[in-house]
Amino acid sequence: MIHTQTLSPGVTLRCCRDPRFKQGCLSFQLIRQMDAREGAMNALLPSVLLRGTKTCPDLRAVTQRLDDLYGASAAPMVRRIGDYQTTGLYCGFMDDRFALPGDRVLEPMAAFLEEILLDPPLEDGGFLDAFVEGEKTNLIALIESERNDKRAYAMTRLLKTMCGGDPFGLPRLGEPEQVAAIDPKALYRHYRALLRESRVEIFYVGSARPERVAGMLEGLLGRLERSCRPLPGQTGLRPGPGEDVTEVMDVTQGKLCMGFVTPITNRDPEFAAMQVLNTVYGSGMTSKLFTQVREKLSLCYSIGSSYFGTKGILAVSAGIDFDKEDLTRERILALLEDCRKGDITPQELTAGKEALLSGLRAVHDAPGSIENYYATAALSGLDMTPAAYMEAVDRVTPAQVRAAAETLTLHSTYFLRGGSQ
Amino acid sequence: MKSCYYPQLDETVCAQVLENGLTVKVIPRKGFTKKLAYFVANYGSVHGDFSLDGQTLRAPAGVAHYLEHKLFDMPGGRDVSAEFAALGAVTNAFTSYDMTAYYVSCTERFEECLALLLEFVSTPYFTEESVEKERGIIDQEIGMNLDAPDSVVFENLMGAMYAAHPIRVPILGTAETIRQITPQVLSRCHRAFYTPRNMILCVIGDVEPEAVAGIARRVLGERSPETAVKLRPWQEDMTCPTAEVAAVMEVAMPMFSLAFKCEPTPPGEAGIREEMVADLAAEALFGESSELYLRLYEQGLIDSSFSGGFETVDGCAMLLCSGDSRDARQVRRAILDQGRKLAEEGLSQESFLRMKRGALGRRIRGLDSFDATCFRVCAYHFTDFDYFRFPEVYHSIRQEELRAFLERVVRQERCCLSVIDPPGKEETA
Repeated sequence: MIHTQTLSPGVTLRCCRDPRFKQGCLSFQLIRQMDAREGAMNALLPSVLLRGTKTCPDLRAVTQRLDDLYGASAAPMVRRIGDYQTTGLYCGFMDDRFALPGDRVLEPMAAFLEEILLDPPLEDGGFLDAFVEGEKTNLIALIESERNDKRAYAMTRLLKTMCGGDPFGLPRLGEPEQVAAIDPKALYRHYRALLRESRVEIFYVGSARPERVAGMLEGLLGRLERSCRPLPGQTGLRPGPGEDVTEVMDVTQGKLCMGFVTPITNRDPEFAAMQVLNTVYGSGMTSKLFTQVREKLSLCYSIGSSYFGTKGILAVSAGIDFDKEDLTRERILALLEDCRKGDITPQELTAGKEALLSGLRAVHDAPGSIENYYATAALSGLDMTPAAYMEAVDRVTPAQVRAAAETLTLHSTYFLRGGSQ
Repeated sequence: MKSCYYPQLDETVCAQVLENGLTVKVIPRKGFTKKLAYFVANYGSVHGDFSLDGQTLRAPAGVAHYLEHKLFDMPGGRDVSAEFAALGAVTNAFTSYDMTAYYVSCTERFEECLALLLEFVSTPYFTEESVEKERGIIDQEIGMNLDAPDSVVFENLMGAMYAAHPIRVPILGTAETIRQITPQVLSRCHRAFYTPRNMILCVIGDVEPEAVAGIARRVLGERSPETAVKLRPWQEDMTCPTAEVAAVMEVAMPMFSLAFKCEPTPPGEAGIREEMVADLAAEALFGESSELYLRLYEQGLIDSSFSGGFETVDGCAMLLCSGDSRDARQVRRAILDQGRKLAEEGLSQESFLRMKRGALGRRIRGLDSFDATCFRVCAYHFTDFDYFRFPEVYHSIRQEELRAFLERVVRQERCCLSVIDPPGKEETA
């Protein structure tokens, strides 16, 4: 289903040819080891590139060019995948068959991607100062706006507390002060190094044959002076010392997050069992956390758990009244204890497995989800197609789920509450 | 079922109105594994006033949403979520100002999933105890929303902009209004609006259309009770009672929501046409390809969080934009000036055609999303329009219509601004 080819050393093109969709996608990612010294620059770069090219000198010209391509989109894409940070662009565009007779979208889109990546306007040996300064302000605002979503904010704080010196604790977009310190020349030098040294992953979903896609990219790749550096493999979590943190803010509802560690990552054979456990315990409307803590006790509206498979972290998050903290903690731990004792009904197990299977079956139903699955799985060390993953989930036994639960240890907690400082 | 092919979109829609009055639409998508069914009532939070069986009634604010939560309860201690889960399906629901939607998404055993969806939504079962227990959960949901600046900035805007339309009140209601909700209130609202005639079933995926209609017939029966008559005992003119509203919250950057009040759109094609004209006008005024967007962006007055468009709700409509800004009042001034300028000068024909091409392409791309497509098909059905006809409407729109819209709407007296400032940064009057 996925056609993978190495276009040049360190440059991989993965194509999923699928004529069912009305749109295609083309993503271009540079893969880096997560590093505090460059994280902010990697996050800033795609936004600066999207500000203009030599022939489209400003944002308006860029958008008009995209409108000409039947409302195509080109967006910055910055991901954190375990120890890695990726930076690049994601293009979405209408399939050629809906264009006016004789018109094409795919080739001009690839040409525009090349232009955005390789033809930025320059001054004085660096990017345009106005573009860099403007995007720095925007990125800082974006980083700081995480505070607006209290649930996500609480989760980030928990993960940071848990990670200690592990690169997984570094923020995906860098710290505001690191962004503020970037200058246009240093960013340009870094950009040149990124294009030269980084592993490159290009992903295409759409109706075109892989040969046609590879052909379109020849120009772009021919212009890169490559000297690719090897990328170290993913590693398990090196947690910091555990902590129980409480933070006070002017909020109506408290956010309780509890973080557990496990040696099981998505590189281990027990991975599928851990995913099933996560679903049974805390993910979705049939999970123990949802049915007991929300539906039976009415303690919250939102509650759930997430498993971060690249590192081996399972985190629970709940939105509760401030005075329900102790009770909620106690219930979250007691329900995990039930899993450890193997107190899982056949219905819970089936429901958990079915939820995972259903999600995996639908991976191939949208260009974005195909791109997201394959582009991140390959990098995170999960060496499985959705079909192989489904088989692994199907084979999970109750004893394996119980064994997965037994590996979890409470590491840190974080509580965001209202009231005075 | 009647099948209709739309060559410009390469889509087929099979549709039928059943004997009981329910509209069924099926969008077959061969070769996809996911199947999605939306079962939607033409009933939302703004429909609190109605007459039923000769009685005029007013329901407490938040009842449509409360009802959405409670319909998941079934007699005999049945757990609908667990039944769906056993089928490998994901189910959920949402309530908007003018719609309540229940949906199920699955990859296998679709017919069982569909039957269960139709069964639970059409089975009202409310006990004192369960209605009471839900209050705790909804209280927490209301609390969560009060901490979400995106919701607050918009709800404050609605409260300031409208004098009487029930869009003034949040969809969830308030901690006070939900106290008045009882099993009797829920039963009455269910009886009033969850009639086949007032609902649509829309299915998308690799399914057999006739089978969908057959299941709907079997589960819902032939009974076709009268739907309540929605009452609109309010008067709303095109001015805003309050021009500006501000609040302080734990946000990183000041944020705003700005809207211009518009006349409600008529039903049918005329309404959709107005909506698409307004959407293009919004694009011309402050869309990413507009002169104004570039200027404000380069001045640092807006950033990529800025977005806008035309919104309609039963009985009202608005041209809306929102985002983060260090000076929302300056953004407002710039939009008013630019609106006046565009109304006078218009766009170049080249820009206009490019904008239309972009908007059409984005809508076509949007059809890949099962959820967005089901949602739109249902929403447009309730305004008496067949969504898949959008390309022909786009093609027929002329530039003069945009100018006329901007001239009528982008005016000081129709404008309302809602701002949220971080603590310590609020402006002193």
